[in-house]
Amino acid sequence: MSFDWASVVAALPSLLEGLQLTILIALTGLAGGVCLGILTGVALAHGGFLARNAAHAYVAVIRGTPIVVQVMFVYFALPMLLGLRLSATSAAIITIVFNSGAYNAEIVRGALQSVPRGLSEAALSMGLPFRSVLAYVVAPIAYRLALPAMGNQVVNVVKDTSIFLVIGVGELTRRGQEVMAETFRAVEIWTAVAALYLILITVLAYSLRLYERWARLP
Amino acid sequence: MSDALIVFERTRKAFGEHVVLEAVDLTIGRGDIAVVVGPSGSGKSTLLRCVNGLEPISGGDLRVDGISVRGPERDLRRIRLEAGMVFQQFHLFPHLTALQNVMFGLVRVRRRPKAEARERATSLLHKVGLGSRMGHYPSQLSGGQQQRVAIARSLALEPKIMLFDEPTSALDPELRQEVLKVMQAVAQTGMTMVVVTHEMGFAERVGSRLIFMEAGRIVHDGEPGRLLREPPSERFRDFLSHVR
Repeated sequence: MSFDWASVVAALPSLLEGLQLTILIALTGLAGGVCLGILTGVALAHGGFLARNAAHAYVAVIRGTPIVVQVMFVYFALPMLLGLRLSATSAAIITIVFNSGAYNAEIVRGALQSVPRGLSEAALSMGLPFRSVLAYVVAPIAYRLALPAMGNQVVNVVKDTSIFLVIGVGELTRRGQEVMAETFRAVEIWTAVAALYLILITVLAYSLRLYERWARLP
Repeated sequence: MSDALIVFERTRKAFGEHVVLEAVDLTIGRGDIAVVVGPSGSGKSTLLRCVNGLEPISGGDLRVDGISVRGPERDLRRIRLEAGMVFQQFHLFPHLTALQNVMFGLVRVRRRPKAEARERATSLLHKVGLGSRMGHYPSQLSGGQQQRVAIARSLALEPKIMLFDEPTSALDPELRQEVLKVMQAVAQTGMTMVVVTHEMGFAERVGSRLIFMEAGRIVHDGEPGRLLREPPSERFRDFLSHVR
């Protein structure tokens, strides 16, 4: 059996459309997930009783359930509970934001707690309120400590978007499946799909590494 | 306005069951250069850290320029503006240059315009002999240089009191002198200072009071020259023989 390049070329427009949606879901998911992760991570590390326990519960629920179940819940159960309508793409974005937010929270908490205490004490002893100590001293150091782990998260988020084919989101993997059903060129299509993921993830991971190097302190 | 700047009144500090300060009574007056010495674990660092509220006290009272450390957080911040602190491990902000470290308090705490902060920070760094190192990050400076930046960072806020927590203990002997010289210069400006240290030479040369602590109590408190020449107790004599 020979590799039929023509079937790859024929599938490409459809796959690239899927890739676009994958990128859209991944990037909004990453942005939202980072924001949610920071809020939750700060609550875990420095929150009061209520905020800390709410954050713990949220992280426990997300880590303790499969992402497929989470997206099913958001897409099918949540609309019934709240009486609203959600498109498959919105459900996918909501799921990835809450999912990656929980994992990011643990990274943020770890980074915050790795900043030497003496630095906070030095800032506090200058009469700075605790909030400002967090913002101007702890955060700039913590975020550099968090970057390597965040790199892993970026990769995970991109790959996790493929799970959303279960609710019919037309992202890359789903598009591959559809083309496959018409052409039966399994080798060509899945190779192409894999190659597109690989390129996307390599570009993202490499840019992040460049950024990490740029942000590194002397 | 009284001349007592720091007043310990039966100040007690305990970490759980472990008592670190036992009902300390001590008054530091304006312009005093109080040098606090004692074996490790005697409570001298804790004594210092209680002054600016880094350690909350467990009993009694402690007032800095009339403000109690037991008050609300706002009071604590006022105390901290009046009492700068220099740490054994410097604790410079690693993401800021020497200049930015010294500007930090002026901009973030005193809310001064950047240009004014830069001017003041520049002049302070020149005073501590680091005019040529302003753009360096802490990791690019020697320990002695870092500590001098840390002193400038505290002075930038124009405190009434400077607290030094073993400022030379993390330094190689040849780097200690440059820090001690800067501290001596600060003392000559009339600054009230409390210095926890093992530098007996500094105590004798610069100190106006020598306080010897042991097991959470103040054992001796007097004129440094006299205490060092005629140690009033066997314990103190023994301690001196170990640090000199």
